[in-house]
Amino acid sequence: MKTPISTEDSFVRSAGKQLAVYALIAVAALVVLMYALHFAAGLTITGAGGVVGAVDVENNEITIYLREEPPQMNSMLATDTVSGMVLGHVMEGLLRYDDNDQIVPAMAERWEINGTRATFWIRDTARWSNGDPVTAQDFEFAWKTALDPATGSQYSFILYPIKNAEAVNTGQMPVDSLAVRALDARTLEVELEQPTAYFDKLVSFATYLPVQEKSFSAANGRYGADADEMLYNGPFVMTSWVHGASMRMEKNPYYWDAERIRLDAINAAYITSDSNTLLNLYKDGRIVSVDLTAEMLEGAMQQRWQLDRFMDGGVFFIDFNHRAERITSNLNLRKALLLAQDGNELVDRVIKLPGYLPAKSLFPVWLQGVEKTFREEYPAPEAPYNVQLAREYLEKAKQELGLTEIPPLVLLSDVSPVATISGQYYQEVFKRNLGLDIIIDAQIFRQRLAKMDSGDFDLVLNGWGPDYNDPLTFADLFASWNLNNRGKYNNPALDALVRTAQTSTDTKTRMDAFGAIQRILHEDAAFIGNYERGRVYATHPQLKGLLRRVFGAESDYTGAYIDASN
Amino acid sequence: MTAPFSNSQVLTPADFALITQGADVHGLSRPSQSYWQDAWARLKKNRRAIVSLWLIVGLLAFALLGPLLWQIDPARQDIDQISQAPGAERSASIVAPYEFWGGEALSGFDNGTGLRLGAQANSQAVRLLWEAAPDADGFRLYRNIFPVDGGLAFGLPIAEFPNSLAGFYEDRLDLRPDTYFYSLVTLDAQGALTTEYQTLEVPVHRVITVDEVRTRALVSAAAELAVGNEVFLALHPLGTDYLGRDMLSRLMAGARVSLFIGIVAPFLFVLLGVAYGATAGFLGGRVDQLMMRFADFVVALPFLLFMILFQVVFGIGPGESGIVPMLVALVVLSWPSTARLVRGQILQIRQEAYISASRLLGARSSYLVWRHMIPNTMGVILVTLTFAVPSAIFTEAFLSFIGMGVAPPTASWGSMSNEGLATMLTHPHELIFPALLISITVLAFNLLGDGLRDALDARMRSFE
Repeated sequence: MKTPISTEDSFVRSAGKQLAVYALIAVAALVVLMYALHFAAGLTITGAGGVVGAVDVENNEITIYLREEPPQMNSMLATDTVSGMVLGHVMEGLLRYDDNDQIVPAMAERWEINGTRATFWIRDTARWSNGDPVTAQDFEFAWKTALDPATGSQYSFILYPIKNAEAVNTGQMPVDSLAVRALDARTLEVELEQPTAYFDKLVSFATYLPVQEKSFSAANGRYGADADEMLYNGPFVMTSWVHGASMRMEKNPYYWDAERIRLDAINAAYITSDSNTLLNLYKDGRIVSVDLTAEMLEGAMQQRWQLDRFMDGGVFFIDFNHRAERITSNLNLRKALLLAQDGNELVDRVIKLPGYLPAKSLFPVWLQGVEKTFREEYPAPEAPYNVQLAREYLEKAKQELGLTEIPPLVLLSDVSPVATISGQYYQEVFKRNLGLDIIIDAQIFRQRLAKMDSGDFDLVLNGWGPDYNDPLTFADLFASWNLNNRGKYNNPALDALVRTAQTSTDTKTRMDAFGAIQRILHEDAAFIGNYERGRVYATHPQLKGLLRRVFGAESDYTGAYIDASN
Repeated sequence: MTAPFSNSQVLTPADFALITQGADVHGLSRPSQSYWQDAWARLKKNRRAIVSLWLIVGLLAFALLGPLLWQIDPARQDIDQISQAPGAERSASIVAPYEFWGGEALSGFDNGTGLRLGAQANSQAVRLLWEAAPDADGFRLYRNIFPVDGGLAFGLPIAEFPNSLAGFYEDRLDLRPDTYFYSLVTLDAQGALTTEYQTLEVPVHRVITVDEVRTRALVSAAAELAVGNEVFLALHPLGTDYLGRDMLSRLMAGARVSLFIGIVAPFLFVLLGVAYGATAGFLGGRVDQLMMRFADFVVALPFLLFMILFQVVFGIGPGESGIVPMLVALVVLSWPSTARLVRGQILQIRQEAYISASRLLGARSSYLVWRHMIPNTMGVILVTLTFAVPSAIFTEAFLSFIGMGVAPPTASWGSMSNEGLATMLTHPHELIFPALLISITVLAFNLLGDGLRDALDARMRSFE
């Protein structure tokens, strides 16, 4: 049955025309919708107090973002980096890191560490934000409260070098037996469990910050929960905290070194960690600085932005499950995996961000050794990429394990973009070079830690950020007693070296111990180094003096100022 | 009955002669057509539906026959060609394996001053030399993709030399065959940039070592290779993704996942829905009420929650494919709409006179259902089926997009779109191809469904 040609033709024409009209209407509707939404979005932002520029020259203020909402501002409970960043602006400990990462006096004008006795003399001009003087008792109170088992501080272990701290924290001794004494309002005396060479670096950590007992009890359990529920002794005071939305910090008139501070206020107007949102905020001139991902670099160059980079100190590595019932406890299998991958390739070809370095050792390149940097004095042992050798190790491992095929290995990982891409990269590398099947188990951070605790993994993409400026913060990571040693690596020789490094006060002895730890970890193929993390960021051309570094507040705006000439 | 006779014709005695049995009483002027032939004829007239049908056939061929013709492992990472656009230049010249460089100038590069090359620049490494200046406060090395044109926008900060003692640097970071502009900027005592800088234009050529050529099997095993020879890197007609995986083979693998879910799930749940709806409609009364209230209850169940529950029940650990629980969740939760539709039809058909007649003639229930009721609802069922396919494909794409579908390294259009989103601005092809395929597939099935509805339901026939 044939339909006449003419109808067919007109039918086709009408159908085509119709489709074109549909498409046109759809596009037009889309455009209208986009403009309407854009307009509506503009309305909501103006509704929330007007559009604030990144740099307000007139009022000498800047606008920044926070990656996430801090759980609270109680320094005794703080564990996350955002809390650390805000605390670094509104509080100050006995000592602090200066621009060159050296320890300098802060609340304490001078200090003395003599064997197991440390004494700090607090300066006369140290004041809380209500005008009260900062006293030695404030430190004593904060440290004792942080160690009180009832407080439940997760970072209390950082206070353990203080005598009796561990016993107090585990409830074996009363809180008052902690060997911290305020001799008078200006003098704080600390007795240490054993000589601790790095105690001056420890006291700049957030858990060591002072808390005034009066304001703590007045807050009635809500200390640090709101802007007006605590006192501040740092360069800035928090004047408002709209939970989940914004935070405002203003210059502290009572701060002893107020001349150092040149900004009048810092607005943390946005709380988000979505890198694309932040990029758009920066493009629109709403925030002063933004971190860039590898995909954004080309666009940033085209925008003629001034880019900077720094290393945030974190070292990332594949940790093995060393528990005896797991096949990854086999040394030859670990060696096979170690040699079957090329650390340079991951950093240079896959992650592609300047600032990242291949992690050839557990000890990052910036750590200080005896004279030069640690890595210059104790070069990392080489583990050259060698597929042939890796396959030989794999054969040996199969024989030792009595397996004809290695079962699929579970690689536990975070859900962050870099962890995802690294995990998929290694999955293919081990498949191609060793014929091993890798199952990626991507979990959020907290869940990843829980799974590591229960030993529910073979390999894990792990990372470690330093707590204080001493190689020990990395070295004790594989100590058998360390709770962060979730792969349960156990080597008495390494434990002994960690003990040596903890108790010795001689720099050379300690560095030799760290060098030996580095060698042992390599010989045991205890982990596969991935990268030392870097960050690339763009900064508003009028903002100077922004400090980004390993220790202290990150990012540190205390020394920042507006240069309106640009 | 009027067709063979003409009113104007004069009747003759011959017209009153007895008709012998078997003669053509009706005098059909057209060949007899079954319902399906009629529907097919109507569908054929609908150009949109036919184009869609061909598109679907093409997609099926792409998913099933494509991998036979394009035998590239979709999980294979080509580290030399990460995020490569379609049709990019593939030639590379062979060089000696990489060796550590201590900062000494190679012959031919051993004179000159200022920022200069220390060896031939290629994608393996760019080796830069300059004069160490012990009295300066420091240098920072930048790399840009266009010439530095005033301001302090030098591009990417590649390295920093705080003490100015070093006079060389080797850049190996993501070097592509392109022209780079390196700038060495002098720092002041505070570590801030000064306006003093030197800049160098470096054209980078792509290179590859003999070893790499062999392991990647770029040439036949017998071929002789020497330094300086040209080879071609692996072909990727649609480019590669952020890990250098071939887009074409990933799209084919993704098509298999999408079409599997898109065809199997609707087929199963429509089958279930027809059986359930037919039973309820045929039995009627209390049973019907009960069954349909249960269907209403199933409609109220949240899909995403059940999807997660099924993953738990099936013991699908993270890192394992979630396709089976997705299939089960789709089947278990999507049948009520078909059941309702079929039940309505059956209730209506039940009242028809021919059913009563058939029953009177002694037809059994199963005969009634299979012979009369189901065939008469076939049009509705087919239309539901074709409309269910795009929605299932879309569900799969959406779930894979949010990471609940396939596990890496398996590709699916949804997961590919999600991965492509991050590089949308710099490498749009990684998002556009999977997104386009999802759109085309969903559109094709929808238009076909539209055409089928028009063709199968004579009463709803449109007059376009």
